[in-house]
Amino acid sequence: MAADAPKHRTSGWRRILHGRGIWPAVPALVFLFVFLVLPMATLLAFGFVTIDRGRVVDGTFTLENLWKALNDDLVWRLMWRSFWVAALSSVFTLFLAYPVAYLFAESRGLWRALVLVAVVSPLLTSALVRAYAWLVILGGRRGILNQTLISLGVVDQPLRLLNTDWAVLIGMTQIHLPFMILPLLAVLAERDRRLEEASLNLGASRTGTFFRVVVPMSVPAIFAGLALVFAVSYTNFIVPQLLGGGAYATLAVQVYEQTIVVLDWTRGAVLATILLSTCFAFVLAIVAAGNRLARWNEAAA
Amino acid sequence: MIRRAAPIDVLGGAVLALVAGFSLILLVAPSLIVIAVSFEPRAFISFPPSGFSLRWYESVFANRQLTDSIQVSFYVSLAVTGAGLLLGVPAAFASVRGTFPGKAASNAFLLAPQMMPGMVIGIASLFFGAYFAFRASDAMLILALTVFCLPFAIRISMARLAGLDPRLDEASANLGAGPAETFARVTLPQLGPALVAAAAFTFIEAFDNVTVALFTSDVRARPLPVELYYLVQYDSTPAIAAVSALEIGLSFLIMIVIARTVGLERLGR
Amino acid sequence: MSHIRLEDIEKSFGSVRVLDRCTLAVEKGTVATLLGPSGCGKTTLLRALAGFVDPDAGRVVVGGKDITDLPPNRRQVGYVFQSYALFPHLDVAGNVAYGLKVRRMGRAEIETRVRRALDLVSLSAFADRYPARLSGGQQQRVAIARAMVLEPEVLLLDEPFNALDAQLRLSMQVELRKLIGRLGVTSIFVTHDQQEAMTLSDRVAVMRAGRIEQFGPPLEIYDRPRTAYVASFIGRANVLRARGRGGRIEQVPEIALQSPDGDVSVVVRPENLALWDDAPGPGWRGRVAFASPQGAQIEYEIDIGAADPLRVLVPRKVGEAPRAAGAAVRAVPVDPAACVVLAEAADGG
Repeated sequence: MAADAPKHRTSGWRRILHGRGIWPAVPALVFLFVFLVLPMATLLAFGFVTIDRGRVVDGTFTLENLWKALNDDLVWRLMWRSFWVAALSSVFTLFLAYPVAYLFAESRGLWRALVLVAVVSPLLTSALVRAYAWLVILGGRRGILNQTLISLGVVDQPLRLLNTDWAVLIGMTQIHLPFMILPLLAVLAERDRRLEEASLNLGASRTGTFFRVVVPMSVPAIFAGLALVFAVSYTNFIVPQLLGGGAYATLAVQVYEQTIVVLDWTRGAVLATILLSTCFAFVLAIVAAGNRLARWNEAAA
Repeated sequence: MIRRAAPIDVLGGAVLALVAGFSLILLVAPSLIVIAVSFEPRAFISFPPSGFSLRWYESVFANRQLTDSIQVSFYVSLAVTGAGLLLGVPAAFASVRGTFPGKAASNAFLLAPQMMPGMVIGIASLFFGAYFAFRASDAMLILALTVFCLPFAIRISMARLAGLDPRLDEASANLGAGPAETFARVTLPQLGPALVAAAAFTFIEAFDNVTVALFTSDVRARPLPVELYYLVQYDSTPAIAAVSALEIGLSFLIMIVIARTVGLERLGR
Repeated sequence: MSHIRLEDIEKSFGSVRVLDRCTLAVEKGTVATLLGPSGCGKTTLLRALAGFVDPDAGRVVVGGKDITDLPPNRRQVGYVFQSYALFPHLDVAGNVAYGLKVRRMGRAEIETRVRRALDLVSLSAFADRYPARLSGGQQQRVAIARAMVLEPEVLLLDEPFNALDAQLRLSMQVELRKLIGRLGVTSIFVTHDQQEAMTLSDRVAVMRAGRIEQFGPPLEIYDRPRTAYVASFIGRANVLRARGRGGRIEQVPEIALQSPDGDVSVVVRPENLALWDDAPGPGWRGRVAFASPQGAQIEYEIDIGAADPLRVLVPRKVGEAPRAAGAAVRAVPVDPAACVVLAEAADGG
């Protein structure tokens, strides 16, 4: 009896110090609850109550604001534009990213390091600086691309590159390229080369092996990348604003404008809710599509 | 022993190399162009630059608004890094070594902010603060950025922690060290590089951030990216290129730190 | 003219010489095994045959054709990987059909051939299963079917039974041997398991450090090992130093030798020794160090003053007790003709 009691008393401390319990995570969990969960709840709530200057006027729960937004043609047009810009840039990013990731997986030493530097350094650079870079390249008469084309004699007049869908697409694609490359890189680098040997042995060419074995096997990673790039593109408001010009808007841009410029917080909240939920739905669809294409992967789970 | 390569393979290889080369150039060219443009002596953007001049860099440091915003960014980022490590590293411990009911849910929740666009975190924080009659301020910015950056600190710490051999802890205990001493002598030193990498990454993410900062920063004390956001709308001189080049330089330094501690490949996992 | 010929194959990886002038000739329709410990180069040699490894020197000839410069996808040899390398994203039928699809065969034709191949390995019911849902033995059979459906003249198998548990191993070895026999395919196995080599092969190549030490039928290798290493690798052997004089071994004059007088090694199998009480006469003298009764046999370790103890395996009659430790004994070969005399001085390999 006496032998039991001391064991019981010290085990609690030991658990804490050995980190077996939940205690070390508690500060972070509480922090996130207070500064993430509650604010998110507030955001959602603001769409469904009447507010005046940030204070709730009356606690009535109303669906009117949501209804107004869903009936607004503009909202649907913006959503459509947000969707296809995000979808297109995801696909473009995939086609540009895959060869880089494959190259990385096939190289050693210096080349690998170079690829990593090229991929990671933009990642660590501010989104604003990267968007500004495209402003410099594509911008009006003084834009670098135009200057180069004119001096090479390819065109006489400067092309209107900025403030177009293409500018936004190009900017989005390039800026999100590292997000697609990194997951693909990891998967391709760790793949089972014996499967490719087997394919060669069975008569396929290296190119045939690439399309019959390497690419299908990487489908889960491809769709994970697509989902990620879609999500960040869909919710990106910096690139469309800077490269698309004042008249250009996507749903994300609208959320920003309503909240900060127009100061219509109710509308901002409602649009943000719509933005988040539709983004979530699209991402789920992409992931589901990926799972369907890679049904063979379930067997392993 | 020379092998003749099949034509289809040569074609395939060429296409692959071309696209990969194009993508790699596409990745770095914009930043390099901005850096080049920042040395342009004249008052407009030109590439290649017509000369070499540091006047725009001088103008940056002479610009009170810009230097103030750089200071704000530094101080805010340091605070976020501190908070991120203090909250995140212990959380990583629980996530890797903990054995408690609901561990999976806890882990998922800790990494949840990654799923949120910065804009949403920013607006949510703004609204939440407004509800309690708090306006956008440095404090709100720091808190919101900490939420945004916490998953980065946690993930980097977790990755390293998971790779440590628990038997080393057992050996330490067997040799007589108590749990606190084992932590200090065995666990922490091994964790060192990861902590540095986590700090570096958290710092740069907080420093660079626009999406959260636009909503939660005080108008009178804007961090650098926000300042640039407004500047870009009306300034067409290479001054912005100069500030951008400085920022690119900072991120390059951070990249070296991460490469030397945990390696750049870690960022893909 | 042999069906498969490897001539003076050399391969180094960096500074490590993995294959050192390997020459091998395998007759059509026979089964050969490359046997050796890990690192001896057996898998590298097999991969050189398949084209996954480019030899630094030497030729690979199959069916009279020099295929050394051919890339792996043009060689038309079947290859079964140690881990089977089944495509996880294709089902069993898809895996087996892969080579046929690459050859652009017609749909109906592919279906027929795949069905035949699956029947051959008794896996017809599993055509639409994915590899992750198959057992080790089933995966192996799919790998074999996938190679066989292309009707290769040569089949290469890299330790195909390694991943199977012990019980399954023996039955699969017999099954596979019968299948290969039925189809008449020239086959080369790689294994480190000596028992497997003996079961499966028409001829065995014992390899060591990149060289083929001996190539011959299993029993010939067992009865007439050419080096001490081969002797120890197949079955158990005592390799003893002795002096040859006048055409006979000094200690055991019954053992004859061809070579001139000098130091030699004598290979004596443990089961070829009988223990007598210590008395004047031929044989090796020593003391019992350890006796291990095994039921129908007794295994002895005899200390004869050499670096390694002498191992003796004698049959045991029911009720018989082993000799006591420390007892003085004399070990005499039962069949002197079965002892092999090697010119090299014993170093045991």
